[in-house]
This record gives sequence, structure tokens and C-alpha cells, in this order.
Amino acid sequence: MNLLDIRNLSIELKSATNPILAVDRVSLTMKEGEVRGLVGESGSGKSLLAQAIVGVLDDKWQVDADRFHWRGNDLMRLSLDERKAIISKDVAMIFQEPMACLDPTMTIEEQLTEAVDCDQLSGFFWQKNQQRKENAISLLHKVGIKQHKVCLKKYPHQLNEALCQRIMIAMALAKRPILLIADEPTAAMESTNQGQIFRLLASLNQLKNMSILLISHDLENVTHWTNTITVMYSGQFVEAGTTKQIFEQPFHPYTRALIDSSPKANMSLPAKSRLMALPGSIPILQHLPIGCRLGPRCPRAQQECVIAPKVQNYHGHQFSCHFSLKGSY
Amino acid sequence: MPTLLQVSNLSKSFKLSRNWFNRKVFTALDPISFEVKAHQTLAIVGETGSGKSTLAKLLVGAELPTTGNIKLNGQTLQPGNFKQRCQHVRMIFQDSGTTLNPSLTIGQLLNEPLLLNTDLTEDARHLLIRETLQKVGLLADHMNFYPHMFSGGQKQRISLARAIILQPQVIILDEALASLDPSLRSQMINLLLDLQQQMGLAYILISHNLGIVRHFSDKIMVLSQGQVMEMGETSDILNDPKHQYTKKLIMNQRFQLLHR
Amino acid sequence: MARDKIYLEEEFPSPLLQLWHNFKETPVVMLGFGCFVFLTILALFSPLITPYASVENHLDFLLLPPAWHNDGNVSFLLGTDNLGRDMLSRLMHGTSLTFGLSFVVVLISLVIGVVIGSFSALTSGIKSSFLNHFLDVILSIPSLLLAIVIVAILGTGLNNTLWAIIMVLIPQFVHITRNAVTEEFRKDYVLASRLDGASSLRILYHSVFPNILEKLISQATLAQSSAILDIAALGFLGLGAQIPMAEWGAMLKNGIDLFYIAPWTVYLPGLAILFAVVATNLVGEGMRHALKVSKEA
Repeated sequence: MNLLDIRNLSIELKSATNPILAVDRVSLTMKEGEVRGLVGESGSGKSLLAQAIVGVLDDKWQVDADRFHWRGNDLMRLSLDERKAIISKDVAMIFQEPMACLDPTMTIEEQLTEAVDCDQLSGFFWQKNQQRKENAISLLHKVGIKQHKVCLKKYPHQLNEALCQRIMIAMALAKRPILLIADEPTAAMESTNQGQIFRLLASLNQLKNMSILLISHDLENVTHWTNTITVMYSGQFVEAGTTKQIFEQPFHPYTRALIDSSPKANMSLPAKSRLMALPGSIPILQHLPIGCRLGPRCPRAQQECVIAPKVQNYHGHQFSCHFSLKGSY
Repeated sequence: MPTLLQVSNLSKSFKLSRNWFNRKVFTALDPISFEVKAHQTLAIVGETGSGKSTLAKLLVGAELPTTGNIKLNGQTLQPGNFKQRCQHVRMIFQDSGTTLNPSLTIGQLLNEPLLLNTDLTEDARHLLIRETLQKVGLLADHMNFYPHMFSGGQKQRISLARAIILQPQVIILDEALASLDPSLRSQMINLLLDLQQQMGLAYILISHNLGIVRHFSDKIMVLSQGQVMEMGETSDILNDPKHQYTKKLIMNQRFQLLHR
Repeated sequence: MARDKIYLEEEFPSPLLQLWHNFKETPVVMLGFGCFVFLTILALFSPLITPYASVENHLDFLLLPPAWHNDGNVSFLLGTDNLGRDMLSRLMHGTSLTFGLSFVVVLISLVIGVVIGSFSALTSGIKSSFLNHFLDVILSIPSLLLAIVIVAILGTGLNNTLWAIIMVLIPQFVHITRNAVTEEFRKDYVLASRLDGASSLRILYHSVFPNILEKLISQATLAQSSAILDIAALGFLGLGAQIPMAEWGAMLKNGIDLFYIAPWTVYLPGLAILFAVVATNLVGEGMRHALKVSKEA
């Protein structure tokens, strides 16, 4: 059974003049124990999608979907509050820039003990305090921080970014979630630290069978750590499939362009030669193209691209393009 | 090709005087020397705290060096003399959000270095601004727009236009490509390569992304804690690193580049 | 993406114009702004449009109630006070005293505060600290008390109380300017300007001031509403404007003894003060709200 089953989710910005479809009919499925990468550049709506799943968007966004199932429960029929209650029990989220997400005026110990789930404690209230502290220490051990004594008494600004991100992951693990959504967790970090965080997420996935939705703008980075990938562009669904399928045989011209702009593809190019790049830049929300939003930039675009393409499925490899690269493989 | 930039014995130390009796000295950069030729790119690689931003600031003149000097085309650049330096050495910053003045139009923004450093008439300046904008791939109409209307990639192009408008010889890219999306990054790299061919620029690229460094640079310098670990041709160093630190850096990035 | 003039109907306003658009959104704020403009025009032109001079005595018409009372007279629309002076004219003249002078006071303290704050931000170390904090001692003294002290030294009169209020308002502007300028200096575009060879003054004028203008204006409106109250309070205590002057606080002082027989001599100036303060506060609120909205967008 699918853990998360979303079909044709749209997020609309309600404004007086004309409503803007920030996310246009995107489908996403997640199975248990799967690590899925959600790749898209800035403006692709991937963070909006994640926030819509967790239910933290403001009133100015309106979320609509054909199907939004979580472990078999149909969430579209429930009110926003009920939806949030069900999801927040099993889904946790970590963000970019972990130092900014931690309260700068509280020590790590205070913040971790606050995050510990009350339902898992038992006993009288004076015992609960001690249990909270023990829980916090065990959470730190789970994310690989062995010297907890040193860490607990410090404030967030005294630690480095990677350590703060681990603490965020520890706080996310406090509720024993089934799905962890990581919204660009390593964007602000250097390569050594990035490796640490990714290895931690991979070990959590393997040991606890926790599914992870890894959001990133760098396709290259993500291919090593994920089982399946979904690619989005400017709010639209572009391609989805297993990592191998996407990396070796991308069907959509945009995915192809993303792969071509990554360092690994360029290792074969001579140094200081021109890179393959799509012309133009990402459209802004006020001036979205009609139909397929890659149209103005796509090298294979033709007349039919003013109508948004439907999603086609080929052996589990989904893509939405009128003129895909499928024939060239 | 003639040597454009010659740095000898450049170092920077800060005095941390918490109390007047105990003056500790913090060395951000140990004495280093190197050369850069025209049409060449030198990449400076290192983690945070390695001194690469200090080196960038010293080269562009934002900080005064403790020892050493910088020679451009044989002439020593005087520290603190911005007017002399800014015609030859320009810098592009990392954070595109704060690199442009939000209350000036692009035309006014590009006009300022011209007003301060050249004697061109207003028409000549206008023409030069139009040409520069076209060179970086923006339209002449963009002169009347404000920075908040542009995307991140376009803001970096405007930064680049501001850097090349005085026709410098050396441009320092302080992690300028780090915050861009991958497709925009490729476009920017193509643009930089074209400009290097056309104008004979020398680039000093400060980055921690070894993929870009491998593609874009001729020579590479690895810094750690203010000291030079290795320096030499890019292909030599990346294929056959001698120092432990360089090996560790490459391993970390290669580890992510390998597809399983 | 090529953004040339295909979309003619869209405007691309400058940041200040954008602020103005956000400001215009809330109707209540525009109402306050309208009242503010009305008061300003009144303050500027009151000597020309008052029906009578504000110190002219009409001894036949002492303590006349406002025109809507049975005993009132339509030629004295809001009645007269105990010396036969027309209330309407005095109120209008009082606008230029209470409201207009508060504006001038805020302007002067703004200029002085900004100059000191900029110097403090440009220097560093002890000089900067000194400039930043040497006026803080004034912050610790309430404005009324300071005014009393100054009046005790220099004697009573509107001018002397104005000096007191200016001195009280300066430290706020010094702090705000210094903080805003230091924050702007940390940004990259200031470094880029400096590397181009711009002098510090030029950087201040071109790069920094347009960006901190909004903060200064919102602080100025706060200062103005407190200045209005201070001038009126000092007038009421008899330390500020003296008796023949038509300042609202002085009018209140005049009328308080006659409250039971002629309440309009008290409530009319009181309402005028309320009106002015509410209008200023609405404008200030609107400005801060517009700033917040434009930062979020």
C-alpha cells in the first residue's frame, strides 16, 4: 500500500486580480521505506508542495487535489485541522539553514526536551522530567552525537551548521515519524558536512525503515542517495521514475538539461569549453507561460506545447511531454 | 602570455585586543605568493575559515595587508587607493540579494562607477551602459528597472555587468556561482568563458564546488587555516593530489559524484 | 527571460512608490492621512482664513455657547470664551501653533539626530560610542520635567519649551539612524560602492539614506504625536504658550475654571488635540504596516 498517494495536486494563489496556479497538477506517490528525491530549481513549487502535504500553508493558498491519501485515509474530505492532526502524527519536516530554525535563546537541552513526545512518557510528573532528559539524550545518540554532555548545554550559535541540522533531525525523530520530509537540508553547507547529513539520513532509512522525501535543487547530489526521483519545473510535473531510469535515460528535455549541467556529465567535456545550457530563465509567477511551462525555453518545443501535456507512463517511468526523448533510446 | 597579477608575500593578521595587556594576534592568512596570467583562471579552494575570503578582500583592496604587496602589470597597487585599483580589479559577490542597491535603477547603479572613475559625457556613459547590458545578455530596457524585479540569476548578471563596465583586467568571483540554480550556473559559466575570450580577463574563482573548479580553472590553490596546502595546474592536482587535505576534499565530492 | 515593454499595463514602481501603494490600501489609514493633510493646510493658512483674529475681544458676546445652542449666535460658530474671543478662530490658529510647531520640532530633531547618528556610524570605537550615547542622559528625564528645568533657567515662553522638546526627541533619532546605517554598511552594495572609489559621504547620500528613509519616517510620526501632547501639556501647565496665545493647551487651561458654566471652552480644544493625535498615529501606523508588507512581499 502506498504511504502517500497524491494525484493532481494544485496550489492556487488567491488574489484579487487573477489567480495564479503556483503548483499545477502534480502527482506524487511514496511507498514505505523509500527515499524519494524531489528535484526542481527555484520557483518550481517543491517547497510549496511539501508545505501543502504537512499543512502549514497560509490562507492565501488554496490546495486542491483529485486524490490525497495518507496510508489509505482520504484526506481531501476532511477539514484542514483534521488533516493536520492526522499528518502531524506521522510526518516530520526539516528545513534549510538549521541554525535559523533553532531558538537562539534556549539551550539545546531545553529545546530537545520540549520536542519529546508527551505520550511516550509515563509515571508521575516529577518522573516525567527525568524521562524527558533521558529521551533527549537517546535522541542525540540516534543521530550520532556521542558527546551529548558537551552539546546539551550549548546555544545554537555556538555549534556549526551540520551539528544543528543533526539536532533538527533529532527533534524530528522525537515523534517517531513514518515519513521525514527534508526541504533542502544541506543547501547552506559545505561538501564534507553534506556527506555527513546524507549518510545519517540513509542510515535512518535503512535502520528504521523510515521513508524520506528529499527536496533539492541539485539533481547530481540527490542521485546517489535516493531510490526514486520526481522532477518538477515551475510548478508542473516533469518526470518521475527510479533513479537509474532518470539518470541514464531521461525522457523529458528538462531532465536532460539538468543532467547535462551537472559536473559528472561535464567530466567528459574538455576543460573551459561551453557547457550545455537551456537558454532563457525560469518564468516568474506573474508571467507563467500557458500549457507546458518549459515551452519558451525548450529546444524541442512546437505548436502543440501550448496545451499542457498529459502524464505518460512507460514501465513505471512517468513523464509529461509531447515530444519526449523516449524514441532516441 | 604576460603575467598580469603578481602577488608576493601577502599576509593578513588581526589583532584581537580584548584587554590592553594581552594582545593576541590571529593570522587569517600566512604569507603567500602567486601569479596569474591573462586569459587564465585561478581557483582558490578551501573550507570556511581557510582564509579565501580574506584573500579576496586583500586582492580587491577592501582590507589592508599586513605584509606583502600586489603588482599589476609590473605596477604596485597601493593599498587604500581605490581609484587606482578599481579600474583593474573588480569583484562579484556571493549574495545576490544584498549586492545591488534596492533603491537605485540598474542604469543609475551602473552609472556610478563611470561617474567616479571616468570622464565620459552623459551620452557616452549611456551608450556604454547599453553595450555592457547587452554583453551580459540583458536588454537595454532593463536600465529603468529596479533590482527587486529581477531573479537571482539576472542579479548576478547585473553584478557581472557592474564588474566589466570599467574594462578591468582581473575579476574576482567570491563564491558568485554558489547560490545559483544548476541551469543558470551553466549559463553564467558560458558567459564568463565568452567574456574571458573577448576581453582577455583573468579570473580568480573562489569556490568549494570542485565540479565547477575542474571545468573552469587552469590553476588551483588549496587553502586551509590560512596556509597554502597545494598549488599547481588543475588537472595535475585533481587527478593526483599529494596533500592529505586535498585528498579528503576530493574524496568527499567524488563520493557524491559517483553514481552507484 | 526578456522583460521588455510587452506588458504595458503593468507598472514597475520604485521601492518608495511601492510603499505608497501599500500605504494606500487601508481605508482607515487614508482617512487619517486625509485628516493629517487637512490639519497641515489649516496650520499653514490659518491666519488667512479665520473669521476673526484670535485675540480680538468681543465684549458684547462673552461666554457665548456654540451656534447649535439656543443662546448661540451663528456668527460665532463655536461660541466664545470668557474674554469674548471666537473659539473657532482660536482653534484654527491653535492648529498652526500646536500642530505646526510639533512638525517643525520633529523636523529639527530629525535633522540633528540623523547627523549625529551618521557620524556615530561612520566612526568606530570610543568616538562612535560617545556620539551614540552622550545624549542618552536626556532619555532618562521625562520631557515635562526637562521643560520645567529649562523654563526655570530661561523663563517661560513657547520658544523655551520647544527647545526642551527638541532635546528630548534627538536621542531616539540618533539611535535609530546609527543602527540602520550600521546595518546598511554591512551589505555588499556599500562595499561595492566603496570599491568604486566613492567617499563615505557619497555612500551615505546615495546608497544608504534612500534605504533607511522609511524607518526614519515611521519614527518621526511616533515622535510627532508625542510632541503634540508635550506642547499641549506644557501649555496647560502654563509653562509653554502664555495666555493670549491660542495654543490648545493654553486654551484648556483658560477654560478649566469655567468648566461648569461654559463646557465648550474645555471640550473643544480637547477634541482638537484628540483629532490631531489620532490622525498622526493613524499615519504612523499605516506607514509601519506598509513597511512590514513591503518587506514580506
